[in-house]
Amino acid sequence: MIPLVRQFRDFFVSLKLTVVLLALSIILIFWATLSQVQLGIWGVQQKFFHAFFVLGTIPGTSIPVPVFPGGYFIGGLLLINLVAAHVYRFKLEWRKAGIQLTHTGLIVLLLGELISGLLQVESQMRLEEGGTSHYSESYRLNELVLIDTTDPKFDEVVAIPEAVLGDRGVIQHPKLPFQLKIRDYYPNAAVQMRDQVPNAAPALATTGLGPRVAVIPLPLTYREDERNSPAAHIELVAPEGSLGIWLVSSLVGMPQKIDYQGRSWVIALRGKRYYHPFAITLHDFSHDVYPGTEIPKNFSSRIQLKTDDGHDDREVLIYMNNPLRHAGLTFYQASFERGDKVSILQVVRNPGWLLPYFACVMMGLGLVIQFGIHLVGFVRKRTA
Amino acid sequence: MSLRLPASVLLLAAFLFSGCKDRQITTYQAPKDPAPAALPPATAGNSAALPEGHPPVGQASGTDMAATAVPTGSDSLTWTAPTHWTAKPLGQMRKGSFAVKGADGTEADLSITAFPGNTGGMLANLNRWRGQISLPPLAETQLDSVLEHLDGDGFHFDLADFAGTANGAPTRILGAVLSRPGETWFFKLMGPDALVAAQKDAFRAFLRTVKEPAP
Repeated sequence: MIPLVRQFRDFFVSLKLTVVLLALSIILIFWATLSQVQLGIWGVQQKFFHAFFVLGTIPGTSIPVPVFPGGYFIGGLLLINLVAAHVYRFKLEWRKAGIQLTHTGLIVLLLGELISGLLQVESQMRLEEGGTSHYSESYRLNELVLIDTTDPKFDEVVAIPEAVLGDRGVIQHPKLPFQLKIRDYYPNAAVQMRDQVPNAAPALATTGLGPRVAVIPLPLTYREDERNSPAAHIELVAPEGSLGIWLVSSLVGMPQKIDYQGRSWVIALRGKRYYHPFAITLHDFSHDVYPGTEIPKNFSSRIQLKTDDGHDDREVLIYMNNPLRHAGLTFYQASFERGDKVSILQVVRNPGWLLPYFACVMMGLGLVIQFGIHLVGFVRKRTA
Repeated sequence: MSLRLPASVLLLAAFLFSGCKDRQITTYQAPKDPAPAALPPATAGNSAALPEGHPPVGQASGTDMAATAVPTGSDSLTWTAPTHWTAKPLGQMRKGSFAVKGADGTEADLSITAFPGNTGGMLANLNRWRGQISLPPLAETQLDSVLEHLDGDGFHFDLADFAGTANGAPTRILGAVLSRPGETWFFKLMGPDALVAAQKDAFRAFLRTVKEPAP
């Protein structure tokens, strides 16, 4: 074997690597648990586990530097280590069938977590009674959209992820007749009517809602029950000059209109949208309580699911622990609003949702087989 | 056996891979929203009112889990107002609100607000107050000459006293800025020139009553 290949093989099958990785993961989990005080569960998951490296910054600057291996790095190496050791030392023996099965289950579990971490998409669908929706919106991610509303049948959307706004640069896109200049970006900011804020900074926006509204930058929140509301000042620059500066914020519900060269545009900052090839209509939301108390017994949404191609048109009842599964998506009853007239469904796309179940069955079965073999051997020895 | 080479190759690969993030600009066609009509292009003068049917900006409604309360600094200060000041209902952003009435029926408004951070700095805040009573903005170098200082109960206030005009009437602003760790508090008395000038001592005495609440 080529020495270089052998070097790699020895590295990946070594038990030393397993021990080092397990030690690193203990430190990582301990550190992440402490950080949960400041960052909250979601923040910790992103920073420590759904990352190849835990990033810190050079003191006094905002330059990121990796300071510790993250969850993907440790988990990925553990997976490779486990698979490599299995392949390298594998011997087909009935005596070891249980151990083999348990380890394969562990590999499936690790793979399942990797697939969930990389591919799972969560969003929410907000439905008023009698209302219909084609899309769900992300709870964490936001996007700046420029929508060409000229066509009476559909909207043409250009969606720019919030991460791009953070660069504060200039955005040019072939579908847009103007450039977008990000004049200012706030990852979290409150907006208030200007007359209610006696000490507001002067308005940067020159048109739309902006001049009437004051922006108050806020520190980022990591709490589970709070949401960051980004805001930005966007200047639209056409070949003949600036069209004005707009203030966009995810707290401003109403999109702002721009007329340019005979076409109508709308600019807005909103939760990232996922459009689906089907529509959901909320017939009724009910919130049952135990008789004589205010203790919730059940939340349920009676909805109509109608696919665009007309293949499916049925009524579904979604309630706690009984989600709707359709087109690779799972709809859970998540929340409600406004005196039981608005239902909020959690929409989850997770291609790997079955893998943990398989993994648990395999590991359970493997352990039963392994202990069973030992038990049978032991009983035989005693009776002999 | 050296494991240094495989380990470093792996580290490099993982580090490069971790640089990738979802930053793709996407375009797609979407069905029309049944949402309310878009905001009409702003008209000259920009009235402070919102178009009809628009929900109040920045206000969260219902039991929406996604609603974020607007933090306006902490609630952690108390004060004692002179008896002839009348407490008014707090607006959305106010921590304290008083009407100060003069003998001749005139009225001045005292507002207490707090915001996270330094809200743009001392100069920007003072110039905003000056703008409200038609005074030209100050330069950074003039800052020291207009600020008075007052030490209260463990707090240091920067005081400003500006006289100008608002809506054609002589108007005065007595303002105090209190910088605390992570937030800034504003105490502002604004109203008819003579009335506010007569309240200056009461205002200073009032600032001395501002303190942290007893634990």
